[in-house]
Amino acid sequence: MRTIEYVIRRLILMVFVLFGVSLVVFYLTHGVPSAWDPVTAFINPKMSAAQIQAIRVQHGFNQPLYIQYFYWLRDALQGNWGHTGNEALGQPVTYIFSLRFPYTVELAVAATILTVGIGIPLGIVSALKNNKLPDHVSRIVALTGYSTPAYWFGFVLQLVFFYYFAIWGLPNLPSHGALAQTLDGAVPRTTGIPILDGLLGGNLAYAWDAFLHVILPAFTLAFISLGYLARIVRASMLEVLRQDYIILARSKGLRERVVIYRHALRNALIPAATLTGLFLAGLLGGAIITEFIFAWPGVGQLSLVAVFAGDANFVAYYTLVIALIIIVANLVVDVLYVFLDPRIKY
Amino acid sequence: MTSAKRTRESQARTEELKYTLHQLFRNPLVVFGLVLSVFFIVVSIYVTKIMQPTEFANPLGFQPLSIGSLSVDPSIFLNILIYGGLAYLLQRLYDNKWVTIGFLAVVFLILYVPVPRQLWVVNPDGPSNIDFSQKLCWSNGLINWGTPPSACPPGSNYLLGSDDFGRDLFQMILIAIPLDLSIALEIVLIATAFGVFLGAVAAYSGGKVDEILLRITDIFFAFPGLILALVLAAILGRNITTLTIAVLIVWWPTYVRLIRGQILAEKSKNYVEALRSLGLSSRRILFFHVIPNSIYPVLVQSTLDIGGVILTFSALMFLGFSPSPVLPELGNLASSGATYFFLAPWLIFFPGATIVVISLAFNLIGDGIRDVLDPRLRR
Amino acid sequence: MEKQSTQQALLQIEDLRVDFTTYAGKVKVLNGVDLTLHEGEIFGLVGESGCGKSVTALTIAGLLPENSEIISGKVLFEGDDLLKKSSNQMRETRAMKVAMIFQDPMTFLNPVLTVGTQLTESIDVRYGKSIGEGWRPPKSGDPLGSTTPSGRTGRREKKRILYEMAIDALRRVRLPDPERMMKSFPHELSGGMRQRVMIAMALARNPDLLIADEITTALDVTIQAQILELLRTLRGELKSTIVVITHDLGVVAEVCDRIGVMYAGDVVEVATVDDLFAKPMHPYTQGLLHAIPIVTGGNERLESVRGTVPDLIHPPPACRFNPRCPHAWDLCAKEKPKLLAQSPGHFVACHLYTQERKAS
Repeated sequence: MRTIEYVIRRLILMVFVLFGVSLVVFYLTHGVPSAWDPVTAFINPKMSAAQIQAIRVQHGFNQPLYIQYFYWLRDALQGNWGHTGNEALGQPVTYIFSLRFPYTVELAVAATILTVGIGIPLGIVSALKNNKLPDHVSRIVALTGYSTPAYWFGFVLQLVFFYYFAIWGLPNLPSHGALAQTLDGAVPRTTGIPILDGLLGGNLAYAWDAFLHVILPAFTLAFISLGYLARIVRASMLEVLRQDYIILARSKGLRERVVIYRHALRNALIPAATLTGLFLAGLLGGAIITEFIFAWPGVGQLSLVAVFAGDANFVAYYTLVIALIIIVANLVVDVLYVFLDPRIKY
Repeated sequence: MTSAKRTRESQARTEELKYTLHQLFRNPLVVFGLVLSVFFIVVSIYVTKIMQPTEFANPLGFQPLSIGSLSVDPSIFLNILIYGGLAYLLQRLYDNKWVTIGFLAVVFLILYVPVPRQLWVVNPDGPSNIDFSQKLCWSNGLINWGTPPSACPPGSNYLLGSDDFGRDLFQMILIAIPLDLSIALEIVLIATAFGVFLGAVAAYSGGKVDEILLRITDIFFAFPGLILALVLAAILGRNITTLTIAVLIVWWPTYVRLIRGQILAEKSKNYVEALRSLGLSSRRILFFHVIPNSIYPVLVQSTLDIGGVILTFSALMFLGFSPSPVLPELGNLASSGATYFFLAPWLIFFPGATIVVISLAFNLIGDGIRDVLDPRLRR
Repeated sequence: MEKQSTQQALLQIEDLRVDFTTYAGKVKVLNGVDLTLHEGEIFGLVGESGCGKSVTALTIAGLLPENSEIISGKVLFEGDDLLKKSSNQMRETRAMKVAMIFQDPMTFLNPVLTVGTQLTESIDVRYGKSIGEGWRPPKSGDPLGSTTPSGRTGRREKKRILYEMAIDALRRVRLPDPERMMKSFPHELSGGMRQRVMIAMALARNPDLLIADEITTALDVTIQAQILELLRTLRGELKSTIVVITHDLGVVAEVCDRIGVMYAGDVVEVATVDDLFAKPMHPYTQGLLHAIPIVTGGNERLESVRGTVPDLIHPPPACRFNPRCPHAWDLCAKEKPKLLAQSPGHFVACHLYTQERKAS
């Protein structure tokens, strides 16, 4: 089937791009001299100079750059990504990453649901009431969201819903972390995603608490992104509504609602669907600023710490994983197009 | 081309531009955005050119610090010579006064909005008669933030409160606006020019060059923007020039893709074939016909990107990459506020709100242009 | 065999004026259209591009775009003035009584929905309610629909019936392998097949009025001939009145009983096919017919109507043809000629036949 051929071609391409990405990543994290001394990840202050030198030799850090790359590549493909920086000495990068990743997944999924749930209806309403008041209002909302820095909006949400609500005596939403400290460990870790673990473990209070914690950060992310989605939906809806087949659908005497839902939306939402897929993939990379502001124990926040600490290994691993996710997401979205739009055949 | 033909052509372009502008100004939101942006630009010019440094509250003995610059800024007469000459050339080529005026406006923006590369940072050997009673206080009678420490010493009046160096936040924001604006404009202009040039060349030559460039941009696109900017910033160091370069590197691939898509679409149109059959060289067709017709989405994107760049750049500052904690930059001001989260909420609130408004202004314009220029919705 | 058309007027358009608002100004598309359609006939509406034939059709169907404005006039369909109906009532009318087929089946069929979906929804809108209440379509040999004794019909049963009606419609337009066609997407079919699908969608609803807007324009000549043949055979089966809109005189000569000629927003001549071709009265019609090159004749100059189509934002006063008319005189720019009968069944809107020609 030609689609399979296409997928295979894309996968091969993907390998090449990943290769290029790995080169760039390696150069940035290991090659640039002033940045990070790769040895720091493997030593602790108590070692003697000779021991440090020995480690250098063992990992090939005293070799020219391209040889180092092959060492690194060999290690990487074997699954050995080294350890993170000094603070978490002894923790393999992969372990730390997999520990934090589910939290990022929870936030990403929650944010996507909110974005799609608000953004798409907003775009549709905008298109149907084109150039009238709802359109202008939604445009302002969309553009404001698009113009807002995440740290500012997240902060404002925390200020209002956590701080001032508490002062005014209203029930307030938590502003830090993914879970209340007291509940930590109350439920066995199956997926690592707090809400799911709570539900699976039958502990509703746990799941509810996790849910409360995810509301504010998810809403921050959603507010920033839904504007863009709404504009895309509006634009494609407007274009679809001008198509000839809409005239035919109306000429059949179909109710306007049927024309919109069955004929127009099926066409107009295709770009929105692909956009959503890419959006989710991007979020899976960790919304660094949002995680920072809300002290969300996700991968993004960790990467920030790693960058400042000069933790080359973690940064390299993290960047590559993100790149992989995004590239795969692009491929998935393109393949999905075949199912969404029957005209597309590869 | 005979000059008669060129005049007809430029007349058509002028008509087109006039129609576009007319449609644009019918949208009240765009007008609002335009007013806001002009407001900010005027504020920037006033702050940097007219206000004297001594007018700022300077309790810590600030000293001037030079910041590296990526734009050319020789003496004014030399500027007139260079840019006047370029404008003349442009007028000869395109014979359209709107294009020339636009070019001159952009040049004016780059050269005269920016900060004169001198900002005030703490003088490490400066006087230590710092009155810390002025730190983090709020004396504006309008809103009561209510959180301690909030009472300023009597006699002081801070419109938006003071920061943790005892400086008037309002004045700091005023100084920060031109800095952010000029950096954003620089980045967008360079990224656009560079990206468009590369993309145009690649798209028009096709073949291997195109493929390689496409793969390179693919590699850049595989990184989420902020992460790449972070890593680059960490490597390149913490001064404004390097941070500007970092954001630039993250930003330019978008334009390559954009213009490439547009040019490929244009390339297959009939008029290109017609021009080729008339004997025009590829370069001429590319620069004089194809690019002007493909440039609109790039225009939209760059306007929108001004806001985006401000957001990214200030985010980098916020996360801690600033060269100095007292640098008056909107993200930097907000970051010192992050430490005093609920204690002094005005520290994050006002700089952040300023970013929102500046971004919004440019985004309104860009969005308005996009609506007007959408070829399917015209007429 | 000519079908005798009854003298009942199915549709009567009186003095219809429609304007479009564009960036360049108000386009006066329809300038007082008068038209009468008899039940059961095939009426051809001809004219150049931009003369207002499609707009007339869209006005009848209530499908005018947002930037349009109906200035005045009446559209009497089976007694009701369609222009006075609410949009919901017009929708009902479209569902039950009026069907339209359009020019380019590629753009007029929804690319992401199957032929089956689009066909069955067409039938559903017309017959769905009745089926739900127990009506059944006529089977061959049983000319009237029957009613099941049990009254209400379940959804499954209804879907099955709709499906069968759809298959039947596809067969009637001579499409091969209807079951497979139901599952296909529009882009998988050829142009001729897509056009047949559109015709099937229309005829499955048994409309009282069927409007075919330039349905052969986008097709090859051979396919065109097939479609016209199909229309002719269907006319025997359908009880509908058909309006064929086209700019091709050859097409109307093939299938129509009567022809109306439009120019720049006016109906200038109406006659039976034979009368029109034998004795064209309006100068414009005469010009059109003279312009048709005759292959079998000897070498002759290719004639054309001199001048160009008028700008409808600033149209010529009174008779819009007068700038190009070889017989025009000053009255023509002062008073608009009305569409009047000059001989039984032959109407012309021209002062030549009603006024004494003054000295030019």
